[in-house]
Amino acid sequence: MDNVSISFEKGEVHALIGENGAGKSTFIKTLSGAITPTSGTIVFEGKEYSHLEPRQAIDLGIAVVYQELIQFEAMSVADNIFMGVKDEEGFILDDKTRVEKSRELLKIFDCHVDPATLIRDLSIANRQIVELAKAIVKKAKVVVMDEPTAAITMAEQEKLYKVVKQLKESGVTVIYISHRLEELFIICDRVSVLRDGQYVTTCDIKDLTKQDMIKYMVGRELTNAYPPKAPHSDEVIMEVDNVSGNGVHDISFKLHKGEILGFAGLVGAGRTELMHVLYGAAKKEAGTIKINGKEVNFRSTADGMKAGIGLIPEDRKFQGCFIDKPIFWNNSISCIDTLTKAGVVDTKAEMKLAQEYKERLKTKTPTLTQLTSGLSGGNQQKVVIAKALAALPEILIFDEPTRGIDIGARYEIYLLMNELAEQGKAILMVSSDMEELLGMSERIIVLHEGHQSAELQKQEFSQEKVLACASGV
Amino acid sequence: MNTKKIGKIIGDFALPIMLVALIVFFSLMSPAFLTPLNLKNILVQNVHVAVCACAVMIIMISGGCDLSIGYQMSVAAVLVTKLISVNGWPPYLAIILGIALCSLLGTFNGYMGIKLKSSTMIITLGTMAIFQGISYLISGSKTFHNLPDSFMFLGQGTVFGFIPVSVLIMIVIVVLVGFVMGKTAIGRKVYAAGDNPEAARLAGLNVSRIKILSFTVAGVLVGISAILLAARSGSADSGTGVGIEFTGITACVLSGVALKGGEGTLWKVIVAVFVLGVLANGMQLINLGTYPQFIAKGVIMLGSLYLTSRNAQ
Repeated sequence: MDNVSISFEKGEVHALIGENGAGKSTFIKTLSGAITPTSGTIVFEGKEYSHLEPRQAIDLGIAVVYQELIQFEAMSVADNIFMGVKDEEGFILDDKTRVEKSRELLKIFDCHVDPATLIRDLSIANRQIVELAKAIVKKAKVVVMDEPTAAITMAEQEKLYKVVKQLKESGVTVIYISHRLEELFIICDRVSVLRDGQYVTTCDIKDLTKQDMIKYMVGRELTNAYPPKAPHSDEVIMEVDNVSGNGVHDISFKLHKGEILGFAGLVGAGRTELMHVLYGAAKKEAGTIKINGKEVNFRSTADGMKAGIGLIPEDRKFQGCFIDKPIFWNNSISCIDTLTKAGVVDTKAEMKLAQEYKERLKTKTPTLTQLTSGLSGGNQQKVVIAKALAALPEILIFDEPTRGIDIGARYEIYLLMNELAEQGKAILMVSSDMEELLGMSERIIVLHEGHQSAELQKQEFSQEKVLACASGV
Repeated sequence: MNTKKIGKIIGDFALPIMLVALIVFFSLMSPAFLTPLNLKNILVQNVHVAVCACAVMIIMISGGCDLSIGYQMSVAAVLVTKLISVNGWPPYLAIILGIALCSLLGTFNGYMGIKLKSSTMIITLGTMAIFQGISYLISGSKTFHNLPDSFMFLGQGTVFGFIPVSVLIMIVIVVLVGFVMGKTAIGRKVYAAGDNPEAARLAGLNVSRIKILSFTVAGVLVGISAILLAARSGSADSGTGVGIEFTGITACVLSGVALKGGEGTLWKVIVAVFVLGVLANGMQLINLGTYPQFIAKGVIMLGSLYLTSRNAQ
């Protein structure tokens, strides 16, 4: 980050946008005291600071709700809210008042969770509310929210917007980071844009359009958000008939060669769970799956791969790749047996494979021996995709393919999906990003609480319709 | 060359540098240290430790930990020596049985780890007690002597009159393990299963099988190690090999094998074994007995953890 100056006013909701690697996280970390800036000052309520220590930032009233929530999983909501609050630090904890106080705090946010519930039993959205309640207890004047809507459902998003409005009305400044530009129009007053660690501009949201924001963020115009795709063939590659298991029930659909079939649903509707059943990562309890007309019964992920299915898991870091291993290593692990001579890995073939996929997916990296952890989110995702493609699947499952990825890299992934489909591969796509799902899919299957509630054709697509089916209305 | 690169090179060669420094230090401190006889002693005395450290490394890379290795060795050592000296079995048959039993014990550990879905460190704490009991049941607290020359040859014999057989066996095992872990597909899968079991499973690997297999192979190595130790000392009792898990794990941690699995380099582990070996031998020669050695080992373990945590930052 280089020479960034932004001013935040009291009681405003100020969005901070930019592609991955633009410096948003670094900026927040200087505010929360996690890192020390090399130059420049932070002025808070008229007082100047060269840098902030974490404790100092808390005392000043700066609270950060990180994207990956840092909470005490095995403790209750009340305990989490009051952890580290100074006037609460007695020798003996008064659980009763804590619970009562917590209940009242949560009521502000229209959240009626029992404060004695353990954090790990809450949904992500409720956990975020707990963080916000914590900020209020600590009398935060500035609340930073890092992509709060990345992992929550549409209904929960609506609730979160209300919560943000409430914070604003009580005079709290909210710094709001998001990749979802549509929502900024709902909740923000002003928008600041960062690009490559540089400050670009600050504007009132009412003077901006989505195209403007994208232009500022990427430094060029992106006209079409979703590239056009050739229509698919009529040849059925996968036939799923009344499949149950892993929390989903009676799912049936046909998948054609060259098709992108979308799966919509709220968090917990069983989309990922269904994908795991189809891939062999979870047990199928009933129903039949046919691939190219032949019935299959997977007992392991290896069976699923052998049958030509590839999975790009929803959680890039914990399921998708080996984050502290090099790129080439990740690329070859799914097909390592085909790269061996008498059990010995052929390093030349391995490097050739990695080079091939690097060029094909346009992965930006200095070397193939670069550790995956050192790449940006978009490039990490390309490593995950390369790993799946290396096993030469005919059916690809993209589970949240662009979560937390910036616009430029997203577009490249969309192009790649279309290209794969046009080569005759079939794609199953799960996404919580409604625009993306509507833009990319040719058909959408909607799940509601583990059951299939609708199958929508392209001409019936609308956000309202999908949302209605997903909510079981 | 920038300082970062130099730092990395020093990091890579910290252990060899440490080994050389220790050798120089003890040579200056004691005239008895740098003699062919003493150096050969260090080598021979650590053969079984090195083989055991290979086992520990495989298990740690696969994401596990085995505290029962010492008593696995104990079981194998008393069983083999009892069968030979009391029951009159031919050595080769007893050896095969001992190694097979050890691989079974290892497999049991790995299987329990998968079945109970619990940390193998705790599970092997439990099986350690079981193996201890089995060992004493076999030995009846007796020591077994009177082993035939053909058996002792493995621990004390030489080829061409000067190369110890046990050292040759160690070299073969180290080369083999290094090759399998570093160059083959199965080795790569062990790293993957330890590094990120869920990603490995979703990438189509059979993680459970890989983890159990790692324990099985480690068991075989532990069995071999037990036999090398018994053959060198010419006797065995239920105390044989006990405590070796500590030395093995210390060597692995010292060499940078990741506690969470998925990382580790064999040559560094072997160098670390000899760092610990030279330290023990040198301390003996300058009249610091067994007890200060315990302290030194513990301090080294903690010191290497400190270095690892600093490097991680």
